[in-house]
Amino acid sequence: MIQVSDLTKTFRDKSRGLRAVVDHISFEVRDGEIFGLLGPNGAGKTTTLRMLATLLKATSGRAMVGGHEVTADPAAVRRMIGFLSGDMGLYHRLTPREVLKVFGRLNGLRDEFLRTRIDEVVEMLQMRDFADTKVDQLSTGMRQRAALARTLLHDPPVLILDEPTSGLDVPTARVIEEFILQARRSGKCILYSTHVMEEAEFLCDRIAVINQGRIRITGTMSELKAATGRERLREIFLDLLDDQPEKAAAP
Amino acid sequence: MNLRMVAAIYAKEMLDMFRDRRALISMIVVPVIAMPGIFAVVHYFTENLGKKAALESSRIGISGRVSEPGVRDALKITGFELVPKPDARAAVENKSVAAALDEETAGDGSGRIIIFVDKTREASTIAGERISALLERLKLARVKTSLRGMGVSERVLDPFQVKSTNVAADKKMAGFILGSVLGYAVLLLMFTGGMYPAIDMTAGEKERHTLEPLLASPASREEIVLGKIFASTTACLLTAMLTIASLLAAIQRLGMGPNSEELEHLVSRAGPDAAAVALILLTLLPTALFAASVMIAVALFARGFKEAQSLLTPVIMAVVVPAVVGMLPGLELNVGLALIPVFNVSQLIKEIIIGEYSRIAFITAFASNVFYALVAFWISVRIFKTESVLFRS
Repeated sequence: MIQVSDLTKTFRDKSRGLRAVVDHISFEVRDGEIFGLLGPNGAGKTTTLRMLATLLKATSGRAMVGGHEVTADPAAVRRMIGFLSGDMGLYHRLTPREVLKVFGRLNGLRDEFLRTRIDEVVEMLQMRDFADTKVDQLSTGMRQRAALARTLLHDPPVLILDEPTSGLDVPTARVIEEFILQARRSGKCILYSTHVMEEAEFLCDRIAVINQGRIRITGTMSELKAATGRERLREIFLDLLDDQPEKAAAP
Repeated sequence: MNLRMVAAIYAKEMLDMFRDRRALISMIVVPVIAMPGIFAVVHYFTENLGKKAALESSRIGISGRVSEPGVRDALKITGFELVPKPDARAAVENKSVAAALDEETAGDGSGRIIIFVDKTREASTIAGERISALLERLKLARVKTSLRGMGVSERVLDPFQVKSTNVAADKKMAGFILGSVLGYAVLLLMFTGGMYPAIDMTAGEKERHTLEPLLASPASREEIVLGKIFASTTACLLTAMLTIASLLAAIQRLGMGPNSEELEHLVSRAGPDAAAVALILLTLLPTALFAASVMIAVALFARGFKEAQSLLTPVIMAVVVPAVVGMLPGLELNVGLALIPVFNVSQLIKEIIIGEYSRIAFITAFASNVFYALVAFWISVRIFKTESVLFRS
């Protein structure tokens, strides 16, 4: 379960001064739900996810992840989550199996259990052919599967996924999507960010459209359609981007 | 602090490090191959240049005005090749001879022999010294002959005798020379050996975006920093041990340069024993910890690999200064000096090899290095908790 209320992050910028990258956002992700954070580049998606993964400290507001507050008890939050970013963050000189071993240990899995669990994940994500090849010799798709394996290895109840399919070809993106759907079936709470609309429409139970650090609208696809009178997510999205706060505030 | 976490980070860093070609070159190839290599090249040149200079220095010019009796004969007997040169000064200037002799009449009417040398040339300097010494002996022989003619004993020239004795034991002499070289080389290479691993596991991780999953894992910032510092410390220690081993091997094989047969003999006979080597390693342990912590802290500031390299270059240069000062003779490590990092160790290594280190200086140096390492560790953890440094791009 993720509960975010009035979460704000400001950065000091040399040219623009103090600037809210995430501006009082609130939303909730239930267990067994895929919640999509949809927005253009620079909307504040990554900053939001980084705050929830305890990489960044919120300037104000509260966020509970798996029953723990992110600022008050970051260590407990980190034990509840699986975090995946578009960069994947795999060690190039290590093999996927070695990477899994490192992160399994960091997540407190005991060596014997870890070995069988790694075999299981390697099997599950069809990584057997490349599990013992160094990461720098793998294709982008293989790397992303290895990164997903690292995220799921310790079976965390909460998944925080930052554009996990960016830069992937269609078949690989499909494999990743399948796993996200499967994770939902097993009851996980999944927060998912993307700027690809079809993906959001296909995967997410509920969607929040975020732009310039603010959530413009939240709801299921049908709720979004009803609220905006538009049929396609693309149109809803573009309408919301046009609806700049500066514009709205103008007389 | 969960040691299992630290161990997991350490294991990952070690695996990564031993697959990094740059790290392997600075950690293993440089101390094992390059150091003895440099040693051999220097040895070769000094030896050959020395021989060449000795050969060149025997060819000297002499002007027709040199008429002081016995001079020409004495020079010939000593092995000089005399080349007639009307203009002695020009002959030396245009390098056709190593040195040249001329003669003029002094104010009192006696002859004055002038030796022309070019002190920027080794062969010329050697020739000049040999000629002076020879002429002094010739002068003395002439004085003695005159004294005998006057019926005076030669003893008036030598009313008493002087003898100088070096009280330093063989072990001390050998240790002084060996310790100076070793302390300097070990410290310098220790820093360069740990530098690439330190950069790779900090700025390198930032550059490759591998830091985020690590920071989102249950490991605390302290555990991550400690694992990295320990791995980098291992790299420093490994480099130091390889440097000691390869330098000792090179010295035993090649000797310590020309005109040092006596010293070589001393080193082979009285080189550092097992206890001294163990004590040196014990000294290097907190030094490696210090070096690793400082380099990790500095490299953490950088956005990427290249920036980290330029930030660490002045650090390495700063290491050279106290290490070189430590090589100078005449300095003794007192408690105050033992507080200066790097310098204290280069001194201590020298004194351990000589066999005359002070226990208080040893403990002070050991404790101060551990203290500096702790400060650097604390700073690293601070930096690791500063988002603006960690996520700047």
